Amino acid sequence: MYKFLAVCGFGVGSSMVLKMSIEKAAKERGIDCEVENTDLSSAKGTDADAVFTSQELGDELKGSTKAPVYPIQRYMDKEEVGKALDDFLSTKE
Amino acid sequence: MLKQYLSEDTMQHKTSVDNWEEAITVAARPLLNKGVIDDSYVEAMIDSVEKNGPYIVLKDYFALPHAQAGTGVNEVGMSLLTLEEPVDLKGNEVKVFLVLAAVDASAHLGALSEVSELLMDDEKFEIVLQGDLEKIRQLIEEGN
Repeated sequence: MYKFLAVCGFGVGSSMVLKMSIEKAAKERGIDCEVENTDLSSAKGTDADAVFTSQELGDELKGSTKAPVYPIQRYMDKEEVGKALDDFLSTKE
Repeated sequence: MLKQYLSEDTMQHKTSVDNWEEAITVAARPLLNKGVIDDSYVEAMIDSVEKNGPYIVLKDYFALPHAQAGTGVNEVGMSLLTLEEPVDLKGNEVKVFLVLAAVDASAHLGALSEVSELLMDDEKFEIVLQGDLEKIRQLIEEGN
């Protein structure tokens, strides 16, 4: 099972919506995963297989997480989120 | 759940606003008037866009302004502003602003998940974009 992080500035609004999009897209792909939504500073100390966040926050995170960071422009766009998941999966093959 | 927050007194429609800062301020006003949030929360929502970028634009034409849970927030609340003319939010056109005020990480989740379900439905999202508050209220009622 993969562990994903959905990250926004505060960990309560946008990241929650992103978590729902990731869960939907993952379900469609039959990916077994656990998604946690969090704010930027907590994300820095949390282990995960992949991190999904905005371009701006992703740039801030890149130096402080070992996990690959996938920038998402529209947190509610299931297709965009799905593409990012596909990119992640292609690194696992 | 959602209809408990979005009712006649927390939903507004306007033809246009001058800029996105004004849009957030106008959208949040009902919550300010009801004492749900303080002035500092409105400033924090605007500062967040300046600092963290426009990720609150969750899909084309829709933004979810919010800031730190429990800071300048007295209780859970949501308020809606629909615009006839889209306003630019750092390179994104936005017609619908939904202000979210959270007190902690969980109390608002039911309502937020309803919002998410509603907006991910293309037909329903189209109705929301049209900005007719009466029709939006009907959608919210149906969702319950």
